This record gives sequence, C-alpha cells and structure tokens, in this order.
Amino acid sequence: MLRYDSTSSSAGSSSGSLSSSSSSSKPPQQDIDGLLAGAGYKVRSSELRQVAQRLERLETAMGNSPADFSQLASDAILYNPSDLACWVDSLLTEFAEPPPTCSSDFIVDPVNNQTVVNSAWTTAEPHTPQVHQNITYDEQQSLDNQLTVVTAMEEDSGIRLVHMLMTCAECVQSGDLSLATSLIGDMQGLLTHVNTVCGIGKVAGHFIDALSRRIFQGMGGGSVNGGSAFENEILHHHFYEACPYLKFAHFTANQAILEAFDGHDCVHVVDFNLMHGLQWPALIQALALRPGGPPLLRLTGIGPPSPDGRDSLREIGLRLAELARSVNVRFAFRGVAASRLEDVKPWMLQVNPKEAVAVNSIMQLHRLLGSEQTRNSPIDTVLSWIRGLNPKIMTVVEQEANHNQPGFLDRFTEALYYYSTMFDSLEACRVQPEKALAEIYIQREIGNVVSCEGSARVERHEPLAKWRRRLSGAGFRALHLGSNAFKQASMLLTLFSAEGYSVEENEGCLSLGWHSRPLIAASAWQAVPAWDNHMSSS
Amino acid sequence: MVQNHRREDHETGGENKEKRPKFFINDHVDILIEILERLDGRSLCVAASVCRLWCTIARNDSLWEKLCFRHVSPPPSSVRSVVLALGGYKRLYTGCVRPVRSRLGRVRRASWARDEVQLSLSLFCVDYYERLGGSNSNGRLVEKSSPSSLMFLCKPVNV
Repeated sequence: MLRYDSTSSSAGSSSGSLSSSSSSSKPPQQDIDGLLAGAGYKVRSSELRQVAQRLERLETAMGNSPADFSQLASDAILYNPSDLACWVDSLLTEFAEPPPTCSSDFIVDPVNNQTVVNSAWTTAEPHTPQVHQNITYDEQQSLDNQLTVVTAMEEDSGIRLVHMLMTCAECVQSGDLSLATSLIGDMQGLLTHVNTVCGIGKVAGHFIDALSRRIFQGMGGGSVNGGSAFENEILHHHFYEACPYLKFAHFTANQAILEAFDGHDCVHVVDFNLMHGLQWPALIQALALRPGGPPLLRLTGIGPPSPDGRDSLREIGLRLAELARSVNVRFAFRGVAASRLEDVKPWMLQVNPKEAVAVNSIMQLHRLLGSEQTRNSPIDTVLSWIRGLNPKIMTVVEQEANHNQPGFLDRFTEALYYYSTMFDSLEACRVQPEKALAEIYIQREIGNVVSCEGSARVERHEPLAKWRRRLSGAGFRALHLGSNAFKQASMLLTLFSAEGYSVEENEGCLSLGWHSRPLIAASAWQAVPAWDNHMSSS
Repeated sequence: MVQNHRREDHETGGENKEKRPKFFINDHVDILIEILERLDGRSLCVAASVCRLWCTIARNDSLWEKLCFRHVSPPPSSVRSVVLALGGYKRLYTGCVRPVRSRLGRVRRASWARDEVQLSLSLFCVDYYERLGGSNSNGRLVEKSSPSSLMFLCKPVNV
C-alpha cells in the first residue's frame, strides 16, 4: 500500500527530484509523477495528495464493508487501472462511498504545515458524528473513520495547545513576559484551527484569556469577580441546574444535618452562603416528615449585602417561611449581610445555647485561606468561633483540587486538568441556557485561580486531605456520612442522564467525580470538647 | 378490561331475552375506582379523557397517591398533608416519581423503592419552592418564568 506523507514538502520533493529521471525515459506527459510512472501507474503530481487520501479511504471502506469482494471482480466495471485516480474513484463508488466532498476539506496549508479543517465538522467526537444525519450505515462507518482521522489531527493541535499553555505559564512564573505574550498570540492563532465548541479547545480558550489578563494587568490582577451579587446568584443557580455537583452537595449535607438533629426539638442551621436558598426546601420537607414531628427550625443565612436597597436575604427568607408554613414546620429566618465571611462575628448569629446548631459551608471555607500561613489568619479565626458555637455538626463541601499552591505553574497545571474534567462533565448537560451560564460560572472561577493574586484571589481550593488536617488541628473530629447519604448520592447521580459521574466513599467522606477523577468532596465534622483538645493538640 | 366486564354481564343476562340488563360501569363507581386505581400513570391520564365521570375520578388525587406508593409499604399519615401542600400526588407522580422510577429502573434494587419515593419527594419540594418564587416574584428575584430544577429529569428529546 502506497502511503504518502500529507505534508507538502515531501510530495513536492518527490515530484521535483524525479523529473530528471523521467525525462531520460519516455517523453513525460504533463506533470505525471515519474516514480509511479515507473511502476506502471499514471498519476498527476498535483493529484498525488488526493489520490493518497482516496486510497486510504478505499482501504478502510474495504476493511469495513460487508460486501463480498468476488462480486467486485465479476460485476464491477473498472476503468483503466493504470489511471490510478479514476480507478480508485470507481472502486469507491462501488463501496457506496459519498462523493468526495470531504477530501477538499483536508487542505494542507503549505505555509503553516498544519491541517485546516473545514468548519463543517462542528463536532469531531468519534462517538457522536452529528454532521451528516441522513446517510446509510456503511457511509456512516466510513465517515466515522474519517472523523477519527480528523480527531487525530485535532488531538494533535489540542496537545500542542496544552504544551503551549504550560510553556506560557512557566514564562509567567519566571517573569519572561515578552515570550509569554508572543505565546499568547500563537495560541490564539492555534485556537482558530481547533474546535472550540467542545473539548480541549473550549477550556484552552478560557485559560488563554485568563493568562493574558494576568500578563497584561500586572500582578494585581483585574477583579475577575467584578460581577454583582445578583449576577453571581444567577450564575450559581444555573450551575445548580446544569450539573449535579451542587445538588450532590446539598443533598449530602442535608442528610447529615437531618441525622444530627435527630431527637432535638429546637434546631438552628447557619448557612455560610445562602444564595437562593435552594438547599433548604428539602431539609424543611424532611424535618416535616420525620417521625416524632418537626422541630422548631431557625435558619440564619449569610450572604453579600445587596445594593439598591433590595434585601435579597429577606426575600429568600420569606419564601422559605412560606414553604415551611405550607408543611407545618415552625420556622424563623435571620439574614446576616456580610461581604466577607471573616467579617461575621458569632454574636450576629444569635445562637441559643439550648438549641442544636448545624453549620453548613458549601464551597466557602477556601475563601478564607490566604497564601501566607500567619497565626491569626481568617480561617483560624472563623474555625475557632465555629468551635465556640459547639455545633452538633458542621458540613463542609469543597472542590477537590489543589489550587492554593504557591508556585504558579503547579497551580496552573492542576487547574487545567481539573477544569478540563469539569467541562467534560458539563458536555453531558443538554439544557440550555443553563449550560452556557454554568460555563460562565466556571470560567469566572478559572479566571480567579489563574489571573488573580493576593486578596483578590479567593478561589483557593484545597484537597480533602489538607482540609482533614486543618480541621483536625482546629479541634474538630470527623463524622462518618453514613450509608443513607451514599445511597441517596448514588441515586441522584443515576438520575442525571450522563453516565460518567461516580460517587466514592473515602473514610466517611463522599466525593463526586467524573470518570473517577473526584471533583467535589463532602465531609461532616463535630467539635471536640475543649478538655479533649488540650490533650490531643501538639 | 371494562369491555370484558360489560360483555360478560351481557352474556349471562342474554339468556333472558325479554329483560335486557343494562350494565354501565358508570353506575358502579366503586368498581370503577377499584379498576382505575390499578392502572399505570399513562393509562390513568388516558382514562381521564373518556368521559366526565372518569375524568373526575382520574383526577382524584387519592388514585395518584396509590400509584406513588405502589410496591412500597404505606407511608405515615403525615406524608399526605405535606404532599398536598406541595402540589398534590398527581403532580408528584408525573413530575418526579415516574421519571425517577424509569431512570433508576436500569440499576434498580428492590430495597430502593422507598428511597426512590423519598428522593422524589425532596426534588418535588425544591420544585415547589422554585414555583413559589415565580408566583410572587418582585420582578428581579426569579428571572425564569418556569422552574427548571426538574429539567434534568426530562428526556433529552423534550428539552
């Protein structure tokens, strides 16, 4: 099988170097390739590339075709086989190949030595060839093979993008901003050749934006989260709808809180980030139906202050109160408006010593981490007053990633893999516009991790192992989440139509991941009594 | 099923040709209810379009309650008031229980039946909460006209 390298240089050289040899033998017809002419085939040099591609397609079509070859030998009308181009075409039509409209799409760009793919190939996934939808099965199979050729080339560009991203991040870390800037330009050029609707192209686009923002705005970094609290709430809500991470967090935390409140008649939940309060209807309903009747439920919701006089916390409180009234649960709500969690003081929460307290933190604790480990860092202050409340349970849900490393390159690499996985999982979502807005939500996180520094960088995710050490050191001990939570989480995931999510149990903590890469981890904690802590602290 | 019922009665009564017994299932509402409460959800909806009586009966929430708790031991009495407050059993079934059951059907274990209903109930509550926001929104709080927390339960075709 003759194989031709699909670069212009080798094809050019083969025809160029042979023109001299062919001139000595028979008088050459206009630009017939001399090497093939020696073997008995007449192919024009200008058509070499296309013939090679068609031969490849013929090979795959023959491999895939269920047809009997002997039929070809007897029934087919084959043209003069020495005219290789026509012969290949006629054989291809025997295999019911679609007309070679696609071959024109594989244009080898002689300048960049890259393959430009026609924008008609909007989805290059070999598993879902959605481009041609009304063709026969045989054609579909051959198209699948062509798509794998496309994806092979795209993957190549994707891998190049990733390498360039790493190199650029390294330059940023070492301070070589001029090289970094030129790399940004190259990457943006490469982006036009890669499918940016899905896959690596989309994630890479966001990372390139974040890197360029970091380079061009200096180390201060623009405030990526410049969006208003209202915008953030909307994006958060769409992220809740589009993928199961927040639902998993809410349901798991609720199950743990429900079990901790067993037997108590006055309960108080402190929510570190109320948003739209989507976590609490399910808890209110579960408390309403618990054997023995519902307790008196108090909810204190912490959230950012809302501008223009609108009290969003109070509105959410009213909605929850209405729900609680419908299901006959005695309910009281209190809103605490604070722009940063460290500004909240325990007296604002008005905790009654007789009630059972649950503290709920969904992706909030990491915002308190600074890059320096000082004595009275915000995280230590907050953890100590939480401990002072003596909660029955503290539910902590955090992203399972190490985005708080001091070295920029390590952080960047980790973020690239983490968010690529997250975007992959988002592909399974089919509801629009939830998906698009969820992507913007994730994009803002990426921007904060990559382009912000100092106090502006709030997305300081740390993995579960680090949180375990930190919380144990602050006087908390872990509570096992239990099999009910695990069962509920598994059921919840099965409901999502994508088959890639997985729940794992890890020493009493649950983590949700995509294809065995954990992305979010939920754990439950209880304050160790004070005298115990003195004995165990180092 | 009802046709057979009618035919059987007709046959037994056919011997006496002078008195032609007229058996209409609609005269025997208790039997009708017994039959209808054994139907599946889709058939029950279809039954609602037969005639006004069937419509009234099929819309009765207690039939849908039986459907929700089929194959599950009867729930405590407090459940009913909660479900009715959140929108009723028909809504619970069509919005949550049916899609949850069909989705989990592939990997279902027998012990999950009760948990399925509990999970459906939780999702139902979140859905009610979102609908609440839509009805008394002051304009800015809820930007969507229809609650979508259950959208992930819809078949992709519908979306």
